[in-house]
Amino acid sequence: MTAASPTMSAQAVPPSAVAEHKPARFALARKTIMTPILLSLLLVAIAVLTYLTGSRPFNQTVIDVFVRVTLVVGLYIFIGNSGVLSFGHIAFTCLGGYAAAWLTINPIMKASALPGLPQFILDLRLPYWQSAVIAAIFAGVAALILGKVLMRLSGIAASIATFAVLAMINTIYANWDSVTGGTSSVVGIPIIRTIWPYLIGAIIAIFLAWAHAISRSGLALRAARDEPTAAAASGVDIPRERLVAFVVSGAVMGLGGALTAHSVGVVTPDTFYLGLTFITLSMLVVGGMGSLSGAVIGVVLLSALIQILRWMEAGISIAETTIALPKGVQEIALGVIMIVILALRPSGLLGNREVTLFQRKRNR
Amino acid sequence: MSYKVRLLATALASVGMALPALADDETITVGFATAQSGAMQAYDKPADEAAMIRIEEINAAGGLLGKQIQVVTADTKSDRAEGAKAGLSVLDQGADLVIVSCDYDFGAPAALAAQDAGIVSFFSCAESVKAGIQGVGPLSFSGSVLAPVQGAAMAEWAFKEKDAKTFYKLLDTWTVYNKGICDGFDWMMPKLEEQGAKLVGEDTFKNEDASIAAQITRIKALPEEPDAIMLCTMMPGGVSAVKQLRAAGINSMILNGSGMDGSYWLSAVPDLSNFYIPVQASIYGDDPNPDVKKFNEAYKAKTGADPSSQYVYPGYVAVDVWSKAVERAGTTEAEAVVAELEKMKDEPTLFGPRTFTSELHHQANARYLVVNVDKGKPGVVGEWTLSEPVPMEAILK
Repeated sequence: MTAASPTMSAQAVPPSAVAEHKPARFALARKTIMTPILLSLLLVAIAVLTYLTGSRPFNQTVIDVFVRVTLVVGLYIFIGNSGVLSFGHIAFTCLGGYAAAWLTINPIMKASALPGLPQFILDLRLPYWQSAVIAAIFAGVAALILGKVLMRLSGIAASIATFAVLAMINTIYANWDSVTGGTSSVVGIPIIRTIWPYLIGAIIAIFLAWAHAISRSGLALRAARDEPTAAAASGVDIPRERLVAFVVSGAVMGLGGALTAHSVGVVTPDTFYLGLTFITLSMLVVGGMGSLSGAVIGVVLLSALIQILRWMEAGISIAETTIALPKGVQEIALGVIMIVILALRPSGLLGNREVTLFQRKRNR
Repeated sequence: MSYKVRLLATALASVGMALPALADDETITVGFATAQSGAMQAYDKPADEAAMIRIEEINAAGGLLGKQIQVVTADTKSDRAEGAKAGLSVLDQGADLVIVSCDYDFGAPAALAAQDAGIVSFFSCAESVKAGIQGVGPLSFSGSVLAPVQGAAMAEWAFKEKDAKTFYKLLDTWTVYNKGICDGFDWMMPKLEEQGAKLVGEDTFKNEDASIAAQITRIKALPEEPDAIMLCTMMPGGVSAVKQLRAAGINSMILNGSGMDGSYWLSAVPDLSNFYIPVQASIYGDDPNPDVKKFNEAYKAKTGADPSSQYVYPGYVAVDVWSKAVERAGTTEAEAVVAELEKMKDEPTLFGPRTFTSELHHQANARYLVVNVDKGKPGVVGEWTLSEPVPMEAILK
């Protein structure tokens, strides 16, 4: 059905007219490249500042922020471009986290803790960056297989189906004792405490998201998000474009999972479940679902807010008096602030806009 | 420009550390990277308070190596990623010992941070073998006793002291702790069978199961009610399981792990009897050791309440054995302290002897008091030490 429509429109418009309207190669890339560059610079600035402080807990906090950036950008690739809310992406983070664990743990420990792994994985010990790449590919392949089925659904049915995937993966990983260690922690994952790998991971995620968004597939998917009927009539194969986004975002979530594993050194199935799902989704929604800048800035702002509230909970000494908020206020205050932001800006802080150098001028 | 950046950086750094680092020679620092909020707080807070009591005692007696112990804390918020930060935070504040969360899963990130930094860590009351060398590294210890010891001790005690001949095993597969208790039981059972005991059946359930009617039916179908049921479970599902067993008219003695200690839930199963729990010391005011009673009073004076369960005590033990090792080593330097800790064999503490070896930073045997709940009233009825320590194969199962 859909395949018939482009032939019809091609007949209606003479080929020469189409050629005239065709923009120069990389025109779109040139116009939009500032967004990922500015966002990356923001992260680089944060990283450098953190490095200068030399405080280890603060360093760990910022590592956490970069991991979250990777995850939320991964969510954005699918949710932002397709408009389908996915509750299941943390499943791919789980796959990535465990894949990283399987590939980096000392073989001696692995043989006793996870005896059910195939022999070649048991013998393998890769450096963390190689394992992160493989973890991302593994999650991407899983997304391809699952997405093949899921992407035929749309709307709330798709959202619930993705949630079912999360529950399914979680149950498998919580019970397959010989391969995942069941509900107990998998330990021995090398811990990387320098900030730079996480920065690079987040920047790779940002550029991947940008490249996907301006690709033919990304543009088609966004068209399908805003006008599904018109897009389908113009020859956009919606399930296929969704699948592409699903696979790319699944891979980025897998990368995020590997980074999570290396930042804490322990993985358990419940780390990758509802808690992480909702915090990452709310960061995306608060930042602005339809915007890459929103995804990144949402994470940075909410993380900063969480951190400030935590410092206030721990107590801040000002001129010999220590002011401390009661424990637990952080969660409450965060909720209130998120409600206020969404009440004032229902489509998130940035809505559909992106950060660029020339935005102001154009708006005038 | 660079001045401003540095100024900002310094400002951030000083906010980042709640207290200025005091890594000077005048004091020794103990860092608590434990849950001060969230789900784990109920377990961590009491153990922390007990550890604080030991620290205050040491300070009152003139300090450790002639130096006062100061305490720094960081909240893990019962979250693993926050746990790593909390560990790093107390390390940045100069901790010479890091006390981490009671549960292995929640304490490990902070303990791994300490291991990385070359600092000794103690799990306040974790009972998994991973809470130590096996799951963290050679600088990590636990103040409590391994779960398998509890299952094995209860089985042996019931056989030897209560003349129980037929045993039934009921395992709640929810946590590693539960499985650990039953692993100990599984190791002990063949030994008892040689002496005439018999395992008449076994079954599993899940902590969250609303009903264990199927399991109960299978127990009822036995030709004779077993003498003892080894119940490897914990809160909150354990209470419901006990209630259902008794409501079904099964009156066998029920053997438990220490996780069922505490009187706070007993009102849910009125007039419960024949219910046995191994504890390191008694919270019920009837401990044979008068010093434990004194400790309970000190705890009440400090917190306003009696200890809620035996899991208060391992926090005290952790600081106690560590400080003794520091005293003997003459330094807080990790390697020397670990060497001294590993020399401890049946080291007396307020809550029973402790042994550490270069293979196991945990207790493969311990003296347990046995508490019986009789018509809803818990009280100490006996004392038991395993005839031999639980071997590594059974622990690592």
